[in-house]
Amino acid sequence: MTDPVTTTPAPPPRDPMPPRDPAVRVTSLTKRYGGLVAVDDLTFLLEAGTVTGFLGPNGAGKTTTLRLMLGLAEPTDGEALVFGRPYRELDQPARRVGAVLESNDFHPGRSGGDHLQTLALAAEIPPSRVDEVLELVELAASADRRVKTYSLGMRQRLGLAAALLGDPELLVLDEPTNGLDPAGVHWLRGFLRSFAEEGRTVLVSSHLLAEVAQAVDQVMIIDRGRLVANARLDELARGDQTLEDVYLGLTTKAAL
Amino acid sequence: MSAALRAELFKQRSTRTVLGLLAAMLGLVLLVVLLHGLGLGAGNFDSTSNQRTALFGWGEVFGPLFAALLGATSITGEIRYGTIRPTFLVTPRRRRVVAAKVWASMLVGAGFGLVAGAVTAVVGTAALSARGIDVRLDAGDYALMVLGAAAASALWAAIGVGVGAVVRNQVPALVGIVVWLLFVENLLVGDIAGATGIGRLLPGAAAKAISGQDPDTLLAPAVGLVLLALYAAGAAWAGSLATSRRDVD
Repeated sequence: MTDPVTTTPAPPPRDPMPPRDPAVRVTSLTKRYGGLVAVDDLTFLLEAGTVTGFLGPNGAGKTTTLRLMLGLAEPTDGEALVFGRPYRELDQPARRVGAVLESNDFHPGRSGGDHLQTLALAAEIPPSRVDEVLELVELAASADRRVKTYSLGMRQRLGLAAALLGDPELLVLDEPTNGLDPAGVHWLRGFLRSFAEEGRTVLVSSHLLAEVAQAVDQVMIIDRGRLVANARLDELARGDQTLEDVYLGLTTKAAL
Repeated sequence: MSAALRAELFKQRSTRTVLGLLAAMLGLVLLVVLLHGLGLGAGNFDSTSNQRTALFGWGEVFGPLFAALLGATSITGEIRYGTIRPTFLVTPRRRRVVAAKVWASMLVGAGFGLVAGAVTAVVGTAALSARGIDVRLDAGDYALMVLGAAAASALWAAIGVGVGAVVRNQVPALVGIVVWLLFVENLLVGDIAGATGIGRLLPGAAAKAISGQDPDTLLAPAVGLVLLALYAAGAAWAGSLATSRRDVD
């Protein structure tokens, strides 16, 4: 068993302001399906204003962890708090957390604009904000088209638009680069950086290291449900060690 | 009106699912009412009760059936297409979502019932008049037929939401509703159990009873309404419980 790579937290700066709640506090989070342990005793914090890459092989438990964080699944043990509370107990969660878990969570016969409108109505967000996020992800011209006519990249952007409707403080994205062309990946990286520079927090899962390495400042690596690394990117990949070397050393090799 | 209800009503009008179901219902009502009204021998229409059973009761069959399909689709469609995830992310208190689906489906379902009842009344009357057969229904009977279909359809829409929430998989939920209403109940009520037995206490028979059909074998309209409302409340409660407890994939 490899020891988790962790960093010693820096001493907190002297600050007259009370410390902010971390955006996410996950404690001993565990999810079992029968005999299968999908998430195994996970503990981590996400500090506000950071972009964290959540890495691991397919099936390592990334998506399950995100579902537990977002109240879509109940943990077997432990807890996941978002802004100090379980997600399901947040008031107006869409105004604090935006999430994209699958790239195709749309009714194919509904237009992209109407998809956003259904969520805006439920979250009590004004319709003008729908137009704003459509502009932001460059889908305004396609808003009236049914989603079945959208390319995968357009669906990714529509999902992102839905997550941004409530102008959230925390953005959670599961494999957001699937289906994006290089220009789309570049755009997304820039977007995530500027999002975090406003003091907001991003958690982005991926199994593609190169795409993540250029966008994140914190890296968590999960393997078979266990957290095997949680450190700043520049501390993980030092000297000759690239992020890929660290990753391959810590995660289970796929059975050939 | 709550935000979740507004969202559910908008979901129903922003796809073609509801229009498709409405068109299918209208087509079936027209076909069956015309076939029976023009095709059955005049002896089938010699009393008020027979006219209801043979002809004017069809709105009470197809209104609730399609309202139930609409209610079930409102949740199984979201599971099928994955929109249940963004729905629950925005409204993580899932019982609110199910309640909003129940109310939205009841509202639209009542509309389905009104249309089914009214079309049955108009087309059935026209068919009998064209053949020179006296229509034995008075204004009160007509009103009961149309409003009864609306009430039964609204309540069956709620049952549909409950069935959809418990079954979750779209095709089995929809097939189950069709098979139950068109085959199982007909067998239990008509052929096997006998109408005076438990058959008349079943939810499809209670729906028919609301419009005053077959008073000798079915329940009185008011009793049918109360019984069907109990079924609807039970189904909605079961759907709410199932939805709040289960993980979303």
